[in-house]
Amino acid sequence: MQIYQKLFKKPWPYLMGGALLAILNIILFASTGEPWKITSGFLYWGAAILEFFGMDPGKWYYFSVYNNGLDSGETFLNNYYSVINLAVIMGALIAALLASEFKWKKIKNKRQLFFGLLGGILMGYGTRLSFGCNIGSYFSAIPSFSLHGWVFGIFMFIGAWIGSKVLFRYLL
Amino acid sequence: MTSGRIEELKKRRQREFKRKKNQIKYAVFCIIVAIIIYAFFLIHNVNYSILWLIGLLLGFVLQRSRFCFTASFRDPIMVGSTSLFKAVVVAFMISTVGFAIVQYNFIQGVQNISLNDIPGQIHPVGIHTALGAILFGIGMVVSGGCASGTLMRIGEGFLLQIVVLIGFIVGVLMGARHFEFWDKFIISQASTVYIPNYTGLPMATIIQVVVLILLYLLADWYDKKNSMMSM
Repeated sequence: MQIYQKLFKKPWPYLMGGALLAILNIILFASTGEPWKITSGFLYWGAAILEFFGMDPGKWYYFSVYNNGLDSGETFLNNYYSVINLAVIMGALIAALLASEFKWKKIKNKRQLFFGLLGGILMGYGTRLSFGCNIGSYFSAIPSFSLHGWVFGIFMFIGAWIGSKVLFRYLL
Repeated sequence: MTSGRIEELKKRRQREFKRKKNQIKYAVFCIIVAIIIYAFFLIHNVNYSILWLIGLLLGFVLQRSRFCFTASFRDPIMVGSTSLFKAVVVAFMISTVGFAIVQYNFIQGVQNISLNDIPGQIHPVGIHTALGAILFGIGMVVSGGCASGTLMRIGEGFLLQIVVLIGFIVGVLMGARHFEFWDKFIISQASTVYIPNYTGLPMATIIQVVVLILLYLLADWYDKKNSMMSM
C-alpha cells in the first residue's frame, strides 16, 4: 500500500518526470522512426470537420508541400496523431483516477473562456509557421539537432514573457 | 455551530472521502479499455500499438509529475523558480544522446543521404520560426497550457482545456489556410539547418550536451539568487 501511495498518489519529482518523458521519446523515435509530435493532429481533426461540412481542405496548398500530407493509408481521422493524442489523454485520465484526483473542473468566468480560446488560436496559428508546438518544434526538435528547435525555444520564452505581462494586466 | 451540524459535516466529509476512493474502480475500467485497444492495434496495426502504448505512458508521466512546459517558462519570469525548467534541460540532455544514437544508426546504413531522409524533427529555420514561437509562447501563457498540457488536463477533467483545444483547432486551420502566403513570403527563402552537417554527429552531440549543462548551471544560479533575495 505504501508503494501504491508513492507511485500513484504523490506527485513525482519534476526531474524524474523529465527523464522519463525523454526516455519514452527516445523509445518512440527508435521504434517508429518518428519522435513525439502533437499539433498536426489537431489540424487533421479540424480538416476532418471541414470535410464533414462538405469542404475539401485536402486540396489546400499546405498539404502539398514539406511532407505535410498524410502517409499512405492514413486519413484525417485515422493517423499517427489521433492514436498518440488520444493515448496521452487516456494515460493522464488513468493517472488521475488512480490518484482519485479526477474531477470535472468548470470554467470560472467569461474572461477565462475568452483567454482560453484566444490562447488556443494563437498557439494553433503559431505552430503552422514554426513547424510544430512545444513538443514537435522543441522537445523533439532540439534532440534532433535541428537549429529551428533552439530558435523556437528562445522565442517561445520571449512569447511567454509577453504573455505573462498580459496575464498580469488582465487576468490576475 | 450545533453538534448536529458538525455531525452532518463529518458525514459529508466521509462521503467525499469514499467517493474519492471509488475512483480506483474507474481507473481499473479505463486500464482494461486501454489494454483492449492495445490488443486490437497489436493485431491490426503494430505501429499504432506502439504509439498507443507510448502515448499512454507519456500521458501518465505528464500527469504524475505535473510536468508543464508552460510553467517551465512562466515560473522563472513570474516567481523566479527554475525547478521545472531544469527538469526540461535534463530531459534534453538524455534525449540528445538517445536521438544521436538513433540518427547515427540510421545514417550508417544509408549512402548519399539527403537532409530529408534523416529521421527526426528537422525543419527550415528563419523569421517564421521566431514569429510562430512568439505567438505560441503568448498563447500558452494566457490559456494556461501548451499542447501536451492541454491534452493532459483534458484527461484530468478540465473543461477549460476543451475550449483551448477548440481554439487550437481553429488556429491550426487558419494557419494552414494562410500557409501559402507565409511560404512564398518567408519560409521558401529559409534554409534547414541540421547542426551535425557542419560538425559531424558525435561533435554535435558533445557540443549540445555541454551547452545544456551550461544552461542548467545558469538556471540553477538564477534559482538560488531568487530564493536568496526572497529570504
